[in-house]
Amino acid sequence: MAHLELAGVIKRYGDTTVIHGVDLSVRDGEFVVFVGPSGCGKSTLLRMISGLESVTDGELRLDGRRVNDVSAAQRGLAMVFQSYALYPHMTVYQNMAFGLQNIGTPRAQIDAKVRAAAKLLRLESLLERRPTQLSGGQRQRVAIGRAIVREPTVFLFDEPLSNLDAELRVQMRTEITALHQRLKTTMIYVTHDQVEAMTMADKIVVLRAGRVEQIGSPLELYNEPRNQFVAGFIGSPRMNFLSAQVTDVGPDGVRIKVDSNAQRGAATIPARGDPSLVGQTITLGIRPEHIRVHEGGAGEIELGATIEQLEQLGATSFLYCALPGGERLTVQVAGQVDKRSGEEINVCFPARDAHLFAKTEGEPAFERLRPAARD
Amino acid sequence: MADLSRILTATRGRGRLDWTDWLSYAYLLLGLVLMFGPVVWLVLSSFKSAAALNEFPPQLLPYGQAATQVPGHAEALPLYRVKLPDGSTRELVELRRIGIEATMADPKHPDEEFKVNIRDRERVRAFHLALENYTEIFGKFDFGRFLWNSVFITVVATLITLLFNAMAAFALSKYRFGGEKWVFLLIISTLMIPPTIILVPNFLVVSELGLLNSPWGVIWPAVATPTGVFLLRQYMLTIPGELIDAARMDHASEWRIFWRIILPLSAPALAVLAIFSVMWRWNDFLWPLIVLSRTENFTLQLALNAFQGELTTQWHYLLAMTVLTLLPVTLVFAFLQRYITTGIASAGVK
Repeated sequence: MAHLELAGVIKRYGDTTVIHGVDLSVRDGEFVVFVGPSGCGKSTLLRMISGLESVTDGELRLDGRRVNDVSAAQRGLAMVFQSYALYPHMTVYQNMAFGLQNIGTPRAQIDAKVRAAAKLLRLESLLERRPTQLSGGQRQRVAIGRAIVREPTVFLFDEPLSNLDAELRVQMRTEITALHQRLKTTMIYVTHDQVEAMTMADKIVVLRAGRVEQIGSPLELYNEPRNQFVAGFIGSPRMNFLSAQVTDVGPDGVRIKVDSNAQRGAATIPARGDPSLVGQTITLGIRPEHIRVHEGGAGEIELGATIEQLEQLGATSFLYCALPGGERLTVQVAGQVDKRSGEEINVCFPARDAHLFAKTEGEPAFERLRPAARD
Repeated sequence: MADLSRILTATRGRGRLDWTDWLSYAYLLLGLVLMFGPVVWLVLSSFKSAAALNEFPPQLLPYGQAATQVPGHAEALPLYRVKLPDGSTRELVELRRIGIEATMADPKHPDEEFKVNIRDRERVRAFHLALENYTEIFGKFDFGRFLWNSVFITVVATLITLLFNAMAAFALSKYRFGGEKWVFLLIISTLMIPPTIILVPNFLVVSELGLLNSPWGVIWPAVATPTGVFLLRQYMLTIPGELIDAARMDHASEWRIFWRIILPLSAPALAVLAIFSVMWRWNDFLWPLIVLSRTENFTLQLALNAFQGELTTQWHYLLAMTVLTLLPVTLVFAFLQRYITTGIASAGVK
């Protein structure tokens, strides 16, 4: 049972500030993923929660109690490290028992807990082995087992899957999700992989350069990205960004005109905007999966493009296109397409799927215009 | 074994010896003779009797003069091959000798005496291991006591050296604190001070502490070695910090991290330092010579020195004792050297 709160948490190394005031609330049993490009401070934030890194300013509360000055051991959290950090000179059993020995748990109880965790993680036959004799996936499970035996209030995962190969990563991902459903413990998970974030999280925290860009459920982030950074970071392949001119701002939306080679470039996007934007250049974002290779109809924007590269995966196809203005456009099409590279095609997308990002003063990102009421 | 023979018979030329092979083998052979020759000479000589040692020209193997028991004489008498005036050659024992004339007799008929010029006879040689050199030193000298002193000083000093140096190295490699680099530099810079320079100050300190003529007077000044701190620190830097973080998350106290994580993972470096420390302490001469002045406190090295009398030296005992003195260091090296090549710390962390 743990409710974790971060209030204005700041981390400084000398004059360099790496975490610029993070506010976050993690409910009990929630699976929270910190995601962001490398160097965004997500691991530092996790280590601050764990107690391995001190908090320069702000408050860290666990169940309402301030824990800024409580040592890592006393916070009752457990952490799974990127390198697993298994003790190489101890067997799997000793690795898992070490934490319990340190708090003076009776031998019989240690044995019961270690064996229960081993059963849960299918490690029973490996208990007498040393970490060197295990495969990557097995080491990962031992690292998780070491965290489980102590029955922590919060599990912290620091990029635990980044050392595994692609297949194993998918497998361990489902295993960790299943584990979360079984244990119902709060988990905080750090990754730079947005697919991991989308598949596992109840709540995603997108970080950039020590600042929280957006907090929300995976679909909230996908559907309503607050700015261009989040829009570009969440979703694969990446969202396309095109420049556009605002021609009118009305009650039913923002009238824009796409610059690049638009057969049918003008449309009204259902978004709320400031009338002062009229005449300015803004950014239009559209996800690859919302674009069709077709002539556009009413309420759609249609562009002419040249296929530069084609990826046919069978169930889906990716068309990497170039627009005459030099902009690029990725199109995701369900099924297979009868096209070849170099071909000229017409693509279109519904205006209601487009996102608008305007450049505002002092803000690094294009803030998304609040969508108008949608049906 | 197959590997060993492959290494020993390795050549650069295929199937035949290249000139570089000749050169390498010649160089290696020279090295072997230079380094191992004196040791072989020492060991072989330690099995020679006092008389055989004084012989000139010296013999490599411990050949002694053959002697035989003669009725009517308590001790065995030396055997000679004598050319008699009648031209025949017989093996006779020497009964007594005056000047260049010896009185000799047949060991089977001791009553029949011959007067022989010593130029007409030569010694009968027999292979003889003078094991008594080894057995007698235990009775004649307080060898057991010297051995115990040496073992005590070596073992205790090595254990304390390992503990103290490992603690310093742990702090210097895994903790970040102000002036950490300076502390490390300070420790390393003491390497540049020759021990002879601080001999007198060290002596004064030990004397003030009342540790003269005590093994602790030899142990304490020697346990903190900059070499050891440096060696262990460099090794501990390779132990991933995440292991320590993991242990902290596992409720381990800093002491427990040191004992259960750092020390076991530093085993190869500790073994190297242990070898060094044993060799240093065991072979230490100058400092014990200054601190220990009473015979009962002597280490083996001091006792060896004491054997060299001003007028006479009992070489056969001295050599036997030298061999015994060499043995422990050799054994320690033989058993611990495999740790030098074993690195186990990077395992378990990808």
